[in-house]
Amino acid sequence: MNTLNNKMSKDEIYIWVVDMLHEMFELEKSKITPQSNLYTELDIDSIDAVDIVVKMNQITGKRLNPDVFRAVRTVQDVVNVLAQLLAEEAK
Amino acid sequence: MANIGNGHGMFKRINHYWRILGTGISFVVFGIGGILFRIIVFPLLNILIWNQQLRIIYARRIIRFAFRVFADLMSFLGVLRYNIHGLERLERKGLLILANHPTLIDTVFLMAFVKQADCIIKSALWHNPFTRGSVRAAGYICNDDGPGLIEDCSASLNNGNNLIIFPEGTRTARDGIMEFKRGAANIAVRGKHNVTPIVIRSVPLTLVRGEKWWQVPPTKPVITIEVQEDIEVQTFLTRAGSEILAARQLTEYLQDYFMKENNNAKT
Repeated sequence: MNTLNNKMSKDEIYIWVVDMLHEMFELEKSKITPQSNLYTELDIDSIDAVDIVVKMNQITGKRLNPDVFRAVRTVQDVVNVLAQLLAEEAK
Repeated sequence: MANIGNGHGMFKRINHYWRILGTGISFVVFGIGGILFRIIVFPLLNILIWNQQLRIIYARRIIRFAFRVFADLMSFLGVLRYNIHGLERLERKGLLILANHPTLIDTVFLMAFVKQADCIIKSALWHNPFTRGSVRAAGYICNDDGPGLIEDCSASLNNGNNLIIFPEGTRTARDGIMEFKRGAANIAVRGKHNVTPIVIRSVPLTLVRGEKWWQVPPTKPVITIEVQEDIEVQTFLTRAGSEILAARQLTEYLQDYFMKENNNAKT
């Protein structure tokens, strides 16, 4: 999996997120869209969500507030959260 | 011939009403028992035993004994018949016991025959006046706490408790189609706990999800409880390569396994 950096555009982050979902959960990339709901469409449960947060923390070296992720519903939400996390790093 | 037929029909009808009455008596006894345990037995236990861990052990023993009596009461009243196979497989500690959940009653048998049983309780039972005394005294795991639940369950198993989980999270639908949640498989995979499956059959079905207690089946139900051979969790971990995928594959496997076992009963 490629590394992330704070110069990436949201489109690039999106590609990274899709790769991550594919690798972690063996989801078919063709089934994933920015609007896909993780829980109702991609069969992600609350345990998987914790794993996603752990993964994002590992990759960014930051600590994501779990409450922020609780509001996440779609793949685009994940991208936004991740973009914000990367921006924090830049400060 | 017509006479015999009528006699038979009348017997069936009497038996039917008797089983409704018997079921009603059973429910009342359960409720009164629950209250008595809450206001007498467990407060007494609190006075007699000060060590909390020891108190939980005794509370669970008392509950198991009470469920045993209750199971025999129902069978004595003619509400149902039950038989159990593979009980010797339960003579171990730290078992992760997964079962299907065709009827409200199966819980009674699991609690009556599994020693040092721990289980996940929905918060409604934590507050229900008839059950709160017992579930609190026994220190069962409350299911409010999302992902932390996996660790709580694993810790309970490592402490030697036998943890009972219905992977469906609720009673099986009448059509027998099961949809397993992945929580149980995650406990197995992440804590490296093998699975001890218990297949429960109710023929005919009784007290299925969404049915009222007085809707008793046309004939006396026979509840069969079969403790099966363990399912090794390492096989799934090795094959899948990650815990996440192993939990998914184990969930699928278990769902097929239980549905197949359930269908075998019908033929």
